[in-house]
Amino acid sequence: MSDHPTNFVGDPNVAIKSSIEAAIPGAKCDSSGGGGHFNIAVVSAAFEGKKLLEKQRMVLSAIAHLMKGDAAPVHAVDSLVTNTK
Amino acid sequence: MSDPTQARIDGLVKENKVLLFMKGTPQFPQCGFSATCIGILDGIGAKYNTVNVLADPAIRDGVKAYSNWPTIPQLYVEGEFLGGCDIMKQLYASGELAQTLASYIAPVTAPKLTVTPAAAETLAAAIKDAGPGQVLHLTCGATFQYDLSIGDARPADFTCESNGVTVHIDRASAPRLDGGTIDFVNDARGGGFQITSPHEPPKVRAMSVTELDEKLKKGEPLQLWDVRPDAERKVAKIDAAKQLDEQAWKIVEALPKDTMLVIHCHHGGRSQRAAEQLVKSGFTKVYNLTGGIDAWSTQVDSKVAKY
Repeated sequence: MSDHPTNFVGDPNVAIKSSIEAAIPGAKCDSSGGGGHFNIAVVSAAFEGKKLLEKQRMVLSAIAHLMKGDAAPVHAVDSLVTNTK
Repeated sequence: MSDPTQARIDGLVKENKVLLFMKGTPQFPQCGFSATCIGILDGIGAKYNTVNVLADPAIRDGVKAYSNWPTIPQLYVEGEFLGGCDIMKQLYASGELAQTLASYIAPVTAPKLTVTPAAAETLAAAIKDAGPGQVLHLTCGATFQYDLSIGDARPADFTCESNGVTVHIDRASAPRLDGGTIDFVNDARGGGFQITSPHEPPKVRAMSVTELDEKLKKGEPLQLWDVRPDAERKVAKIDAAKQLDEQAWKIVEALPKDTMLVIHCHHGGRSQRAAEQLVKSGFTKVYNLTGGIDAWSTQVDSKVAKY
């Protein structure tokens, strides 16, 4: 696991989960990882009929504040899975 | 667009039909995600350009804003943002990426490959052992390093069947492997696969002393040259070998380039270097005598003195 220094206080996985679930209606999110790298899986009916790019954008925009700047807690999303159920 | 960086990025994605913003270069990617994307693009044989964001901090931040995407790498096709590494992987796996990039994939015809019965037997067993869903891949790099491996099937790869074995070949390797052969050979070092391709540039080949003896006895047209100086030739020499000194070198260089040249010395080191020079000069059938005159004395003619 690579290490990326961050000034974030708390568990980034919890922050990722709550940010995504707050931004996407009815979303259930699982986030795992650390050291700046995370694997995220989101299930939401809101993805229905959307393109892969749009679905990933919805998720990434929900955690944009966690990815901004060099000391951000989220350096990279190693894998991002979006499902409707 | 008022921001000059945004205008530059806009120009780049419009000028380059397939453009990857990445960390590093295709030869030396500086991040695993960028390396994965290059592997995917090369794997489907797409023509693309890259921008190294590490060389330009303004672009590095600017492209994130331009695409409204938080990470690098980013792939643009015909001015449209297609996605990052994760999306590329998914589109590649589903075969959609090859469709999207169809106009930028050079037409490559399916290669023909021969698997010899000896190789087929060993390979079939290995594929069977690997379990369901696992297939045999053969790649050939730009400098003709071959690699046989077993793994998951990849979309857009070609499949060649020979002697009951199916070989999966990626589009970048395909032209280099067309007409090639996978053989299984047993030599002094044990058994191993030997892969050859007619597209491989000429290189120095090895000839054993027994092979040379047979060829000389059959009277095959070859020229045997000894790179050792007079002092060593006084101690021992092979009758058929002429001395390759400076003067003889000029005569050799004037020979037809497809002349079979066999070069020897005491153990094979000096002659290897001379043989490499001859390949560089354009000769296509250059052999280094393995083990040199010492091996000749041991295996072929004990009357030749050892020293």
